[in-house]
Amino acid sequence: MGRKKKKQMKPWCWYCNREFDDEKILIQHQKAKHFKCHICYKKLYTGPGLAIHCMQVHKEKIDKVPNSLPGRCNTEIEIYGMEGIPEEDVKAHEKNKSKKAADIANEGDSDDNSNPPPSAAAPMMNGMPGATAQPGMPFAPPGMRPMVPGGPMMGPMGAGVPNPMMPQGGMGTVPGPMMGGMGPMGPMGMAGNMGPVNQQMRPGMGNMGPMNPMNMSRPQGPGASRPLFPAAAQSSTATSTAAGGGRPTFPAAASVVSSNSGAGGGGSATITGAPTIKKPESTSGLTSKLVHPDEDISLEELRANLPKYQRNLMESMIASSGMVNTSMAQGPPMQAGGPPMQAGGPHMQSGGPPMQTGGPMNMGGMGMNMNMGMGMGGPGPNMMPGGMMGGPPRPGMMPGGPMMGNNMMRGPPGNMGGMGMPGHGPRGPPMGGGMGMGMGMRPMNGMPFQGNMNMRGPGPGPRPFN
Amino acid sequence: MSDSPNEFKLSNMPNDGISSVKFGPNSKQFLLVSSWDDSVRLYDVVADSMRFKYTHSAPVLDCCFYDAVHSFSGGIDKQLKMYDFNSSSDQVVGTHDAPIRCVEYSPDVNLVITGSWDSTVKLWDPRNPSAVGSLSQPDKVYTMSVCGDSLIVGTAMRRVLVWDLRNMGYVQQRRESNLKYQTRCIRSFPNKQGYVLSSIEGRVAVEYLDPNPDIQKKKYAFKCHRIKENGEECIYPVNAIAFHNGYNTFATGGSDGYVNIWDGFNKKRLCQFHRYPTSIASLAFSPDGSVLAIASSFMYETEVEKVPAPDSVFIRNVTDQETKPKS
Repeated sequence: MGRKKKKQMKPWCWYCNREFDDEKILIQHQKAKHFKCHICYKKLYTGPGLAIHCMQVHKEKIDKVPNSLPGRCNTEIEIYGMEGIPEEDVKAHEKNKSKKAADIANEGDSDDNSNPPPSAAAPMMNGMPGATAQPGMPFAPPGMRPMVPGGPMMGPMGAGVPNPMMPQGGMGTVPGPMMGGMGPMGPMGMAGNMGPVNQQMRPGMGNMGPMNPMNMSRPQGPGASRPLFPAAAQSSTATSTAAGGGRPTFPAAASVVSSNSGAGGGGSATITGAPTIKKPESTSGLTSKLVHPDEDISLEELRANLPKYQRNLMESMIASSGMVNTSMAQGPPMQAGGPPMQAGGPHMQSGGPPMQTGGPMNMGGMGMNMNMGMGMGGPGPNMMPGGMMGGPPRPGMMPGGPMMGNNMMRGPPGNMGGMGMPGHGPRGPPMGGGMGMGMGMRPMNGMPFQGNMNMRGPGPGPRPFN
Repeated sequence: MSDSPNEFKLSNMPNDGISSVKFGPNSKQFLLVSSWDDSVRLYDVVADSMRFKYTHSAPVLDCCFYDAVHSFSGGIDKQLKMYDFNSSSDQVVGTHDAPIRCVEYSPDVNLVITGSWDSTVKLWDPRNPSAVGSLSQPDKVYTMSVCGDSLIVGTAMRRVLVWDLRNMGYVQQRRESNLKYQTRCIRSFPNKQGYVLSSIEGRVAVEYLDPNPDIQKKKYAFKCHRIKENGEECIYPVNAIAFHNGYNTFATGGSDGYVNIWDGFNKKRLCQFHRYPTSIASLAFSPDGSVLAIASSFMYETEVEKVPAPDSVFIRNVTDQETKPKS
């Protein structure tokens, strides 16, 4: 036994075969010698980390690890200290060492070859922090190794695909960008291939919803790319789990999908017709707050819908455009009430009164009516002017209003609210108000109500899922 | 906020938010200011006096010079107006179906261009003011920048379109913003190589127009206009971008009230000015790059402030040290 102990291997560097007394020193060596960015001298943690850093930050592709021996320059194999070294190489190194030892000791080959290698390899892996907690590490199930480091996983990361989609200022925290970078890849055909591998390797991740493409792409990040360094393995998994739900990974969906996972859950507090802005993700560890209203429309649109500018507009409209006759204004809204009645259901009741008051009023009264609508919104606990305003400029609606872009826009939010969130009891009244308002105005625009409703139809649909 | 020696605050400010500031062609003396108080004002920044003022019937969202004596402006009233400073008269050139968000003049093709929330961009001949074309966009136009004979349009839902102003039949390039949040402002490099795009989430992207992959890989984005305080990081919209014509460096202004000047090619920040009283709504370099007009004006990013800081325009004489690339 004592003999074997003596042969316990010193940590050595896979990239240059150098031996060290301590794994800590080895890691320092690797960071300084092999994982340092030649452009900005930042020390990364692994070869793939370096490759990704160069790609994301400097838009440069590195094809080999600096200062590495021929054949040991692979940037896709993830090695951190002694961790991640391909099993063959561990064995080969072992063999070399033991051969020497054997020569010195004049001992039989068979003895050395059969016993020491496995026993030496095992403690090495277990001795490493976090090694057991990382079933994703390629060498853990020896049989798996050959397929793991293969192109399909790391390949896409190096291919630069993530970059255009995920412009990151820098590699703030190493695992972050990596996962981010992997994210968008997930749904694009990789998911299928990765799935099984992933599940096999990290059974715990199975519940991360292979159903949901958003979640799916996330967990795969750590799973597929393997943790960058042991210490981060657990934490990176944890963050990805936590973040997976709320952060849309698809840029295209980003602005449409609202976040409900954020700390504040800001999106749910306001009634709005506009898509909600998702919460910014924090890289600094601090909680971050986006200083912008929740609706994903421009500050100018929101501002234009403040009562004070609406009034201005009303006056100008009266002054500049021909007046719509009152009886016309009255007629349509009542009829038009039909469709929303079905959609809005019970809210119509509360919507009724303002509609009546609104109807008879002429152009001038409209401004008032709108303000009333807002006033009525007041009692609803969640009704905020912001919410009201938020609705208007939904893209789909804009084209509808030939003469009154803004006022017209104002109507929809109410309707939207009513339709989109029928489930929210407390919001009923304000929505009714909004509806009444919307209808009061409707005739002014002389637009087919029905059409408008249809337009809005798809809009509110997704809301409740957010 | 005390004025530093190289900076002063213009007097005779509008009574409401400032939407845009633009310097006149070949002049660092005249500054056009459009406002939410329905007015467009022309200032003589050398004399610190207001020379002209005309009004729309609703807030004005953008304005531009056509030549030294004519300005164009548009806003919530959906009308594009031309004002003649010689005759002190204005005329309505045309209308959009929704408020006009952007008004730009392209000297290369001699057209005034308006972008509107009605999802169109319209082209106007400034000589006998009339519409000469309309380009439909995929969404509401939020920002626009003329880049030689190209026009870069940023719309809602993070779309970016590059049009060739000489051949408006089709869109030259359709892109999606590389930033994940709503596009706030786009301005093109004076050397016409590309553009800078800012979003509401304290981030700025530097983009190149040439689709060649070698050129495209130079693009990048960075974070800015964020303030960490009390263990919380506040992320502010980057509302304004203005280019220095000579050096191709650019200033950004955010709702944090800061103005930064960047060297986009070397990825360096050249300087940061002091914090202004409230959000930076608009920025403009004079054509010679010696003066930067800074509009500080609350933009309702948050619930109404208790006492909003007054809307003001600061005129800052900038030095080479602040605007010239270091290398």
